[in-house]
Amino acid sequence: MNGHVDDRAALYALGSLDEREAEAVRAHVAACLSCAQAIGAAEAEVDAAAEHEPQFAAPAALRSRIDRMLSEQPAASRRASGVVARPAYAPWLALAAAFIIGVLPSAYFLGENRRMHDAMGVQSAAMDRLATSTHRVAAFRPMPAMPEGSSASVAYGSSGQWYVVVVKDVSRSLGVAWMHDGQQTMLGQAVPHGNVAMLFLPKSHRMDRLALVDDGQVVAQASLHY
Amino acid sequence: MENEEALAVAFAAHERSAFAQAYRQYASLLYSAAYNVLGNRDEAQDSVHDAIAKLWRSPAAYSEKRGSLRSFLVVCVRNEAISRRRRAANRARLSGRLASFAQEPAELDAGDPIERDRLRHAVARLPGDQRTPLAMAFYDGKTHTEIAAELQQPLGTIKSRISLGLRKLAAALRADASGSGAS
Repeated sequence: MNGHVDDRAALYALGSLDEREAEAVRAHVAACLSCAQAIGAAEAEVDAAAEHEPQFAAPAALRSRIDRMLSEQPAASRRASGVVARPAYAPWLALAAAFIIGVLPSAYFLGENRRMHDAMGVQSAAMDRLATSTHRVAAFRPMPAMPEGSSASVAYGSSGQWYVVVVKDVSRSLGVAWMHDGQQTMLGQAVPHGNVAMLFLPKSHRMDRLALVDDGQVVAQASLHY
Repeated sequence: MENEEALAVAFAAHERSAFAQAYRQYASLLYSAAYNVLGNRDEAQDSVHDAIAKLWRSPAAYSEKRGSLRSFLVVCVRNEAISRRRRAANRARLSGRLASFAQEPAELDAGDPIERDRLRHAVARLPGDQRTPLAMAFYDGKTHTEIAAELQQPLGTIKSRISLGLRKLAAALRADASGSGAS
């Protein structure tokens, strides 16, 4: 985009530009303060209108999804201008010593608590989908290498937009893979809490064959129908 | 975060806690913005999630110099919802909304009727040549090229009218809110 955004500020804020035009606006305002402020003013106008539309409480499960996304995805690198360089000198040594002596044991338990909280958040989000969306269930067909006594199933959205893999009576993590075109794409790990392991894939595309993988070996497969 | 300004600065610096706090602070507003575009609970949740995920992956998407963080987030989520609706070619759901302001879908009646009336009246008070293209953009999520084609007006004219109509609408809503003591 060669010129300033002008009338496109309102169109951008209203979502009335097509994606190519919107991307050009975003690229331009990154380097042009006056246009960024024009966009900001138009955003405030759309916000004023949106505020007067009907308001609804956000589902609790959404907060879990957002928190999980923020904790799982690596943060993008910070802007150079937005980061204040911090000195790295001797006081840090004293702080590090205090940390090791006084804080580290607590940090371990805090970490455990955090992991437990995250797991509960995932379970809550999965339960919310199961309770509120139409879905199907398919059982995994165990192969000889399946951990003894374990069984597994997958519940999935009727359009394949989400998946919940549950493995019962298992003591270690199992990989979950999408089998397609002779390939195996790893989707994540079903991690046990107690003797049940679960993996929730909140947003995905339609998959018709999933596998459980243990130490690189497929131990069970499921066929999904839509 | 002590106030909105501090939150905006921390958000611009890409601090994880600021992202989490911004969501908590504006959760209902963001979810409502998406729901009012899509009319679907799951899709609205996905829109909010995806909009924030995109910002989390973008190092310089927001600067506090640009303006309000809240408005920025509302627009990001609305635009994500509009894109989602376009991709799904699901225009039929809200296509009649412009022509039937008096017949809101039942599921939207849960909103504050006073606020809804304020918006409806403010839109209705706009001059017709601004009201129609603005409502087609705001309610139907149509692009300016689609609006220009449907109304058989030059693209530049439509851009100007939407821009002017949006400014007047926001000013009317602010005046209305301050006059009635609403926030």
